[in-house]
Amino acid sequence: MPRSTVPRALALLGALLLAACKPSTPAAPQSTASANPPATSHRVAVVISTLNNPWFVVLADNARDRAKELGYEAVVFDSQNDPAKEAQHFDNLIASGYGAVLFNCTDAKGSIANVRRAKAAGIPVFCMDREIEASDAAMSQVLSDNYSGCVALGQYFVKQVGETGRYVELLGLVADTNTWNRSKGFHSVVDRFPGLKMVAQQSAEFDRTKALEVLESILQANPDINAVFCGNDAMAMGAYQALLAAGKADKVKVFGFDGADDVVKSVAEGKIAATVMQFPKTMARTAAENADKYFKGERNFPQRLPVAVELVTADNVAKYGDYGRKGKP
Amino acid sequence: MGARANPDEPRGLPWVWLAGIAVALTGALWVFPLWRVLPLAGSGSVAATVFNPAGFAARFWTETLPSARTKAVDAAVLAVALRRDPAEAARLYAHAVGLGTPYYHVRGTGRVTAVERNVIVVAPEGGDGVTLALETGPIFGNTVRDGTALLNVNDFPSLADFNAVSTELNRLVEERVLPELRRQATVGTRLEFAGCAEAADPAASGPLLTLIPLFAEAR
Repeated sequence: MPRSTVPRALALLGALLLAACKPSTPAAPQSTASANPPATSHRVAVVISTLNNPWFVVLADNARDRAKELGYEAVVFDSQNDPAKEAQHFDNLIASGYGAVLFNCTDAKGSIANVRRAKAAGIPVFCMDREIEASDAAMSQVLSDNYSGCVALGQYFVKQVGETGRYVELLGLVADTNTWNRSKGFHSVVDRFPGLKMVAQQSAEFDRTKALEVLESILQANPDINAVFCGNDAMAMGAYQALLAAGKADKVKVFGFDGADDVVKSVAEGKIAATVMQFPKTMARTAAENADKYFKGERNFPQRLPVAVELVTADNVAKYGDYGRKGKP
Repeated sequence: MGARANPDEPRGLPWVWLAGIAVALTGALWVFPLWRVLPLAGSGSVAATVFNPAGFAARFWTETLPSARTKAVDAAVLAVALRRDPAEAARLYAHAVGLGTPYYHVRGTGRVTAVERNVIVVAPEGGDGVTLALETGPIFGNTVRDGTALLNVNDFPSLADFNAVSTELNRLVEERVLPELRRQATVGTRLEFAGCAEAADPAASGPLLTLIPLFAEAR
């Protein structure tokens, strides 16, 4: 090959590469909610981050049951905290022609793509409990006011533990905005008291068994803690088990979040200091009712709908049970 | 020795073929690219829409909040309603964002009856002897942000940004209201005040509600 061929070939190769990586034409703006065609399928998919936690089982069951009460065929899909499984569920439900999705995501950012794919296929997504970090993908998001709940929990924490002490924080899934809204609400209070020292902050991924293991490990280096703040109730139960095994359950106060039945009972028994009642039934029913409104032609939903939460302590625990406030739907 | 090129052969002919193939390939790849460069979702407007909670809170404090005071419920009216029927008082005078916590936005004038570590107790004029507390300790939570019903979560980029507004507004209360309130408030002082409180059931004894003060002046 003549020498002059080399630069020419390189130039051609460059041109080919440039062509191969041309910027895509920006995707056309997705149709606005009001432009969506009326839903024709009366099948509702309930996609849940995990069913390995009783709180999410309540969320799933209530979403499914409310959708059925309203006259729809409803099926629950368990993502098992695995974004890949969640994506497969969306592939399946889009291919199967579902009419709406009641959605509890595995990843605030990573799940956005699934919601957008459903939207592009004309399937509205109604998020429950966990936020996706986009305001133009889901039809609406019904979310607990986690920050406020953990502000109240933080204030109670200071009253119970005092203004000096050493504590551990067990975080939930780091990709979930609830994890950080709870942590920030708690720290907005507790960090104002310089005598309260956080000796360890570690994720136990909202999981009871992981919380037990993580706290056992932390206790080896920090045997003299006064309290454990947990980002959910499953971790609070795991932390309590670890403390029980270490003979410290009566010395270290454990704080949770969710209002799970076993923790509400533990608050009543004095094993757990406090939790925060979220209302999974309210969130699930509201999401299902919003889907029903959508099927009937409504397109104007608030993007984010906060749901109040309530601090549960030994003083008021008698008012709570069965994942809610007694006598409250 | 290798064979030499025939000097009689037209030199440009292979390049015509090569160029033709290249053009065809380029066209094919343009239509069916091997990969695409996509902008990250929403990244095009990120720089333009970076949210500044401190700046927002400062503007809200000076430009919006003062005029909203006139829409607050009178403390004496609320106190009487709360004594009569707390649920009805909440229905009439409280407001909530979505299915969130309900709050009262309250204004009034009254005499200071007690000064405690983190609260000042006030008896509103016309309140039939009931008392309200004004918080003077550290300010936490969303009461200031949500109490006036002027801010909507859906006008903010995310819940985290909305929560950051709370932190900034609470800081402004601590910086701009509480020091002067603590200085002025002695037992017997007549105070004009405005503030927000969570619409919880009133306490069985003591002050009916604890307000986070947004404004307070001795009269």
